[in-house]
Amino acid sequence: MKLGKFEVVFKKRSKTLNFKEKLQIRILSLLMGFGVLALIFLAYGQNPLLLYFNIFSYAFFTVFGLLATLSRFIPLLLIAIGLAVPFRAKIDNIGAEGQFLMGAIAASGVAIFYGEGTSPWITIPIMFLAGFIAGAVWALPIAIFRVKSKFKGSDVVISFLLFFPAKFLIDYLITGPWRDPEGYGFPQSPLFPEPAQIFSFPGTRIHITIFLGLVATFLIYYFLTRARDGIPETKLGYEINVLGENPEAGEAVGMSFLKVAIITVLISGGLAGIAGVGEVAGNPNFYRLRPELSRFLGFTGIAVAWLGGLSPLGIILSALFFAGLLAGGVRIQASGLPVSVVDLFNGAILFFVLLTEFFLRNKVEWRTVT
Amino acid sequence: MVVNAMTTVLEMQDVCKTFYGEGEVEIHANDHVNFTLKEGEIHALLGENGAGKTTLVMNLCREPDSGSILVGGENLRLKTPREAIEHGIGIAYQDLTKSLVERHSVAENILSLSKGFLLSIQAVEDAVTKAFTRFGFDKLDPKMKVWKLSGGEKQRVEILKALIIDPRILILDEPTSMLTPPEVENLFSLLESLKSEGKGIVIITHHLEEAIQISDRITVLRNGQVVSSLDEKKVAGMRKSPEEGRRELARLMVGKDTLYDLKRNPLKTGDLVLKVEDLTVNNDMGDQVVNNVSIEVRENQILGLAGIAGNGQRELLEAIVHWRQANSGKVILHGNEITNKSVSMIRNLGVSYIPENRKKGMVLDLSVRENLMISYYSESEGPFIDRDAMVELTDKLIERFAIDTPSPLTPMRSLSGGNKQKVVVARELSRRPKEDTGLLLIAENPTFGLDVATTGFVREELLKVRDSGAAVLLVSSDLTEIMTLSDEIAVIYKGEIIGKVSTEETTREAIGLMMGGVIPESTERGEVSQ
Repeated sequence: MKLGKFEVVFKKRSKTLNFKEKLQIRILSLLMGFGVLALIFLAYGQNPLLLYFNIFSYAFFTVFGLLATLSRFIPLLLIAIGLAVPFRAKIDNIGAEGQFLMGAIAASGVAIFYGEGTSPWITIPIMFLAGFIAGAVWALPIAIFRVKSKFKGSDVVISFLLFFPAKFLIDYLITGPWRDPEGYGFPQSPLFPEPAQIFSFPGTRIHITIFLGLVATFLIYYFLTRARDGIPETKLGYEINVLGENPEAGEAVGMSFLKVAIITVLISGGLAGIAGVGEVAGNPNFYRLRPELSRFLGFTGIAVAWLGGLSPLGIILSALFFAGLLAGGVRIQASGLPVSVVDLFNGAILFFVLLTEFFLRNKVEWRTVT
Repeated sequence: MVVNAMTTVLEMQDVCKTFYGEGEVEIHANDHVNFTLKEGEIHALLGENGAGKTTLVMNLCREPDSGSILVGGENLRLKTPREAIEHGIGIAYQDLTKSLVERHSVAENILSLSKGFLLSIQAVEDAVTKAFTRFGFDKLDPKMKVWKLSGGEKQRVEILKALIIDPRILILDEPTSMLTPPEVENLFSLLESLKSEGKGIVIITHHLEEAIQISDRITVLRNGQVVSSLDEKKVAGMRKSPEEGRRELARLMVGKDTLYDLKRNPLKTGDLVLKVEDLTVNNDMGDQVVNNVSIEVRENQILGLAGIAGNGQRELLEAIVHWRQANSGKVILHGNEITNKSVSMIRNLGVSYIPENRKKGMVLDLSVRENLMISYYSESEGPFIDRDAMVELTDKLIERFAIDTPSPLTPMRSLSGGNKQKVVVARELSRRPKEDTGLLLIAENPTFGLDVATTGFVREELLKVRDSGAAVLLVSSDLTEIMTLSDEIAVIYKGEIIGKVSTEETTREAIGLMMGGVIPESTERGEVSQ
């Protein structure tokens, strides 16, 4: 690429980066994101540094803000840790939002038609199970298209497009068969009966799904990603490593890419489904199916997974970071900027996080043209 | 035929081109090559696979590292195929999967005609139809999508692409590989008439007969260097006594590399391990490139499958391990039919494979240990990996094969090319079938691109594994390798086994001839008992 007197060259990195170098690149590109946004804030006559300070001090150092952060942390963690599994096998599931919604729908069905007068000890596990299955089933086509289709990127397309039927199914259900008869015409389902409301800590929106998220993260760490002596615990973990780096070499020794693809997308779809269950039945803002459920956490989860370097510990930290950004977004509005700037803010950060992957693989050099 | 008073239209002086492979492998594809092409002549470039023929002509559309190129006396550096076309150079490329766009029509593929920004596809279609008539090709519908065409038809499109711009210089890179004999005849008479119009034609081939039949001069390349340039008189002489000519060319092509000091112990062969019966296999383009091949490999035996690359060797091997579907025929391992069975099942019966395509053999971003255990991890019980066993095994392999790596956890990428291949060899050679049967080892150009020391090492290891009871099927386009290692040699030509001989009873020249499709009288077609 030529820019006047300079020529910019993108080169593939020849050596594998170590942890420290990767972290540096991640942080640098995040700072680039904040830098670009600073220009926009300046254009609005705001002091960007002050604004950033406000956002983070609110999100992490006020009780109110921290509670809001943690309530967003729950679905983000579940979605992102699930996505990390297929991502490590180079299968692109960008439709976690759809799987999240399907999980929520399945749980709502259980809550509305079965929940009344039962024990929460039975109902809630059934809701989680239904949510896991619904999310997993919604993700299944991704694996099949990824492996069987000749068209590169079909996993991206199919996973993204599957978001829409899920979204429209919710719209249909809450304006049609599941509409709350006492809801004054609002498009929403009836309030879930008490046994179908997931326990949350009093006065907060933090429900016990957080433990499910942490357990899932630990299990994925222990069985799939952790390596001792350079060897993962399970065959599946090893096969994900091999097929993710070079599917040809894996298949050459008889690994089944289809099998691994199916298992990994079922895990990610299922966990996104569980996140949906937790959000609809655990977040006291809901306890019922409402259109506001789709706040694109499933898409944010993609950035969370990548910023966390697809590693469980990294994902916990990056889920906290993004949860804080989302919670702290109210400070942007409070400073008098238009509401859409919050979306711009989140979108730009997401963009730069995804750009990191490019810089991790390529380096940029420039030289003067002779 | 004598053509008189000719001027040079193309001259390449001292051309060098080096490629860098994975690791620190440097491949000198063209090493100070000089080449001239005169007006009104056909000049054949001859050489084994990897000799640098294609690289040499590609210098006309992708500049060389050094050296100069004179087109019609003008010193040029041509950087793109477009520039080559503008200077009257028409090139029909060898790799049709790259040079033709399958989803486009014939006419859409012949954009060599296009000029400027606007383009009438109708005009191209008309021109294409006219050109088919003019050059005497069987007609093809210019609207036909290329993926619907047969291999031979695609090749005609590719040749037409070069011809249609009415070039001064015509370059044909293996133009006959997919044509039927009558089509080849047609093409050759077309080339004769183009020659009489005064065009300079370069034809790349490794078919000795074709070279002698069609060309005025022949340049033979080996390992990136010109080993011989035969002038008109010499070639005319060869045409008179083709048998001797072929022998001479075969000798020049394969050369006489220094033999490594390797001893093959005479061994009695054991039980039959692999039996392939009448196997037919297609290539990626859907053309049948393995025709009714039958081979047998026994314990304590190395069967060398000699042949110039692209004669169906790879497809045959891939069908044996079911990386590729076999159309018909049988693959039998230790008496059990394994045709088109799953890859993991076949491998678990004791089949190892060292693929030529290094990408299929290793995962560069994983550690040496993870690369070594890829053939063993599945032996652990249940869903878990027996970590201690893997650590012990991989450490042993690193030591036993002297793999030079700072640690077992070093990424494969940072190893040298030789050490990378050692990892694959160590892993595949050390596998043992569960029952007490001989391992079947398939080695596909196992020393390609390796330095001398590692080459020697790998060859020694192949002999050792044979001595220990394995059956080895060795495919190599390196004749030295075949001659040194094999107990028996089968020669594959255009997808058929055209001869099988015991190494003791044959000569390098005889094999070289057979690789070019000529069956010497002394060797009978078919089996030679051992």
